[in-house]
Amino acid sequence: MPYEPGPDVIEVMRHPAKGPAMSTLRVFGETLRGMKTTLARVAEGPLTIQYPEEKTPVYPRFRGRHKLHKFEDTGLEKCVGCSLCAAACPSDCIRVVAAENTPDNRVSAGERYAAVYEINLSRCIFCGYCEVACPFDAITMGHDYELSDYTRSDLIFTKEMLLAEPLERTPLRTEGE
Amino acid sequence: MPRPEQTIVKLTIDGREVEAIAGTMLVDAAKQVDVEIPYFCYEPKLGEPVGACRMCLVEIEGIPKLQTSCSTPVREGMVVNTTVDRVLEAQNSVIEFLLVNHPLDCPVCDKGGECPLQDYTFGWGRGKSRVIEPKRHFVKPLALSPLIAIDRERCILCYRCVRFSQEVAEDWQLIFTERGAHTFVGTHDGHPYVAPFSGNIVELCPVGALTSQPYRFRARPWDIEGAGGICTLCPSQCNVEFTVRDDKVVRVLSRENSAVDDGWLCDKGRFAYQAIHVDERITEPLVRGESGELESASWEAALGAARAIAGHRGRGAALVGGQATNEEAYLLGRIVREGLQSHDIDSRLSGTVELGLTRALAAPALQATVADLEFAHTVLVLGTEPVDDSPILDLRIRKGVRRNGVKLAIASARPSTLDPNATLSLRYAPGSEAEFLAGLDAALSGTAASDEFGALATLLKDGGEDVVILWGESLPAQALPTLLSIAGKLGLTDRDGAGLLEVPNGTNARGIREAGALPNAGPGYSEVQAGRNAAEIAAALTAGDVTVLYLFQVDPLRDLPARASWDAALGKAAVVVAHASVLTEGLARHADVVFPAESSAEKEGTIVHPDGRLQRLRAAIKHPGEVRASWQVLVDIAKATGVETGILTAGMAFQQLTKAVPFYAGLTLEAIGGRGLRWPETDAAAEMPAGAAPAPAKVQATEPAPEGKLLLGTYRSIWASTEVEISPALAFTIAEQLVELAPQDAIALGIEHGAAVQVAQNGTRLAGRAAIRTGVPAGTAFLAAGIAENSANALTESIVEVVKA
Ligand code: SF4
Ligand code: SF4
Ligand code: SF4
Ligand code: SF4
Ligand code: FES
Repeated sequence: MPYEPGPDVIEVMRHPAKGPAMSTLRVFGETLRGMKTTLARVAEGPLTIQYPEEKTPVYPRFRGRHKLHKFEDTGLEKCVGCSLCAAACPSDCIRVVAAENTPDNRVSAGERYAAVYEINLSRCIFCGYCEVACPFDAITMGHDYELSDYTRSDLIFTKEMLLAEPLERTPLRTEGE
Repeated sequence: MPRPEQTIVKLTIDGREVEAIAGTMLVDAAKQVDVEIPYFCYEPKLGEPVGACRMCLVEIEGIPKLQTSCSTPVREGMVVNTTVDRVLEAQNSVIEFLLVNHPLDCPVCDKGGECPLQDYTFGWGRGKSRVIEPKRHFVKPLALSPLIAIDRERCILCYRCVRFSQEVAEDWQLIFTERGAHTFVGTHDGHPYVAPFSGNIVELCPVGALTSQPYRFRARPWDIEGAGGICTLCPSQCNVEFTVRDDKVVRVLSRENSAVDDGWLCDKGRFAYQAIHVDERITEPLVRGESGELESASWEAALGAARAIAGHRGRGAALVGGQATNEEAYLLGRIVREGLQSHDIDSRLSGTVELGLTRALAAPALQATVADLEFAHTVLVLGTEPVDDSPILDLRIRKGVRRNGVKLAIASARPSTLDPNATLSLRYAPGSEAEFLAGLDAALSGTAASDEFGALATLLKDGGEDVVILWGESLPAQALPTLLSIAGKLGLTDRDGAGLLEVPNGTNARGIREAGALPNAGPGYSEVQAGRNAAEIAAALTAGDVTVLYLFQVDPLRDLPARASWDAALGKAAVVVAHASVLTEGLARHADVVFPAESSAEKEGTIVHPDGRLQRLRAAIKHPGEVRASWQVLVDIAKATGVETGILTAGMAFQQLTKAVPFYAGLTLEAIGGRGLRWPETDAAAEMPAGAAPAPAKVQATEPAPEGKLLLGTYRSIWASTEVEISPALAFTIAEQLVELAPQDAIALGIEHGAAVQVAQNGTRLAGRAAIRTGVPAGTAFLAAGIAENSANALTESIVEVVKA
């Protein structure tokens, strides 16, 4: 059965009318319009960022790869292995196994410390809830976003990796940038 | 005292109509209609409420002041409000006061996440404190015992732990020291709180003041899963919840079942879970190699080696240890009877009882339940020490005596820890049980040979009709007809709330017997051609009539009397196949194949409580290492001996069992469920074959020990178990040879308490430490059995000599 458009359906013209002149315009006109924009920007110089030699700067509150922190004065880990971050994490990607500090092996300031602290970054959704949950500001979201790797298991970051400074710092945006 | 009558009263809580049993406290009544009243100190398991924390205040119309709902029973027509401003204000203030000194160190506190104080602070607190003064400080954490850490700063002085120690376990060790804000929990002189039930206070404490040392910092509530199970370390078969993290059991909690354990656990059950994940545990099959040593082997190699038993038809025997499930015992019975065409299987290692008598003692009409211990008029504890043999019954008996006025009588050779609670405690010489019972039987007929018998008979006869006799399996077989006669005279048959309750030596002894692992009974106590019992198997092994021995979770050198003769017998055996989780001495020396045994946290199967309750074991974790399900191994072995069981799952094994045991007919795993099901209460119980009690035999009087020597009695301490030995947390308890002596004898022998002694008999010498105990009858010495070294089972005669080492 042929389709009967109702009275409120309007027909839309989708292309210039047929004919030699309009066909020429159709081929070149739009191209020229695009060229106008391009040529107008030539004077501004290139905007491409030469990643990975050059990195996009991020905002200070950018939520990148996590960092674990130590006290600057004592060098003790701030994390006490309380697992609150693991409880807060919506994608269940933090694993904490706590252990007890002893006088000979004092790792953190509290009674307990995290013997194992792992974040599976291939599951992390970078929501930052872990940072919010931490009662000791031990974990914060860092600025690194270079998180590709060859195997999934390499994306499970251990405590040592999270405590270490990143190999290269991610540049921060300056004010007004 | 018989169970109280129950009347229903109606009241209103927060506008909701409630019907509650009279005597119910308001908090509990409120729970029925989903009104939550916060509380800390109230715990019905501990007995009468004390009203210590004031958290549970509610408004009752007509009473001007707020009332504690934990100690106010419901009354007809009461109108209670729990959410009016006055109550909220009071709750706020209580929380604020509790937090004045509470450190709120939740992130490092082990209770965090499952802490009532956290929850109530969040739900009923103000969120702000007006107190800026410094909090009190204590050294923390302190070891209250090797098992429990105490953080006194966190204590909210709710009295729960102290009440447990004083009113439930009755060890009177925990007290509050100092006064006011300086009050803290401790022991009298700061000694460690070591007691068989100490771990319960960890579960009772509503804050993180008391925490478990082995579980310390292991996991948070959101890291773990709970899995219901049964503790199989003693016949109490307490219901437990395994806390599992990363497929490992990291904690055991009680799973309250008032018909079984009343919500308590002993420290063995609570902490010996560590034995599941230690290196000492056997987790792969072992086969004796060329070198003569046991070496780890593949399952194929081990099963292949074990199949050798099929070549010994008519000459095979099996011993079944108490931790076997019904299904395993049933399969072993089939292997021995059908596969090896032998009749030599035994699980009642203390001696065989005639079939008719076994049936009569297990008759459904004569069985008392665990709860009956609490509501009987009189309880007679006969030849058993509950705290060692079935610890949780000790708490039940104490509860009955303390709260329901149960009259307790104790008749045993060894003094009991329940003696102070007993109306009457009688001692007989070890070995003279039959004589004692004959005396009691005569006294019940009116001819008391002595005042003691007379007093006991009067107590049992005139103290009320509900009498429960808790008797130990170790009573000699010849005493049992007299026991039945006594039960008959007291009218215990067919009486609810009265009867006999056995304390067997093995966890699942009852189920194993019912599944047919007895020399004279098949599944369901059916009649079979009689075979050899444990002692006869040893003799037959030595004589070469039996050449193959299957040891299911039992080591004769550890668990059976006459150690030396077993050592020789095992040495003669051609093939010894064992299932075990620890390589004990006998297995290390004599086993040719050792299959790794499952722990109760890995097993699927059913077991039977001494009162006839079938309970179900469920796998909480997967098998560690190479461990395989034992039923599966047994099915493989059965096949090798020519028995096609057709069993493919643990459930199918149970189905076959219900077909083989007539009085299990109609039982399903679903019906057993998490709480268990007593078969004596089912319709199928009528299928139980009737017993026939032989007439009590004449007994001979036991001779007292000659001058300078002592009569030997044995006991098995609560800690005497291989699981305890390999649990690091329980290392401090490990049972050693404590020779219990009467003070008179100790003086005569010049032995001091704690001194090293030697126990000699026929050239055998055992080293031990003297424990002088008042209450031990003069002329007797009690030695520990079931321990790794210097165990009493090396002695064979009933007279020993104790000398200073
Ligand atoms: S950022 Fe979010 S998803 Fe990632 S670890 Fe933290 S809580 Fe989990
Ligand atoms: S990072 Fe913070 S929240 Fe996570 S375990 Fe450590 S202290 Fe607790
Ligand atoms: S006891 Fe409860 S409230 Fe107190 S520190 Fe521990 S978790 Fe927090
Ligand atoms: S230690 Fe725990 S159970 Fe004992 S009084 Fe203090 S808060 Fe209560
Ligand atoms: S629960 Fe009522 S006063 Fe503590």
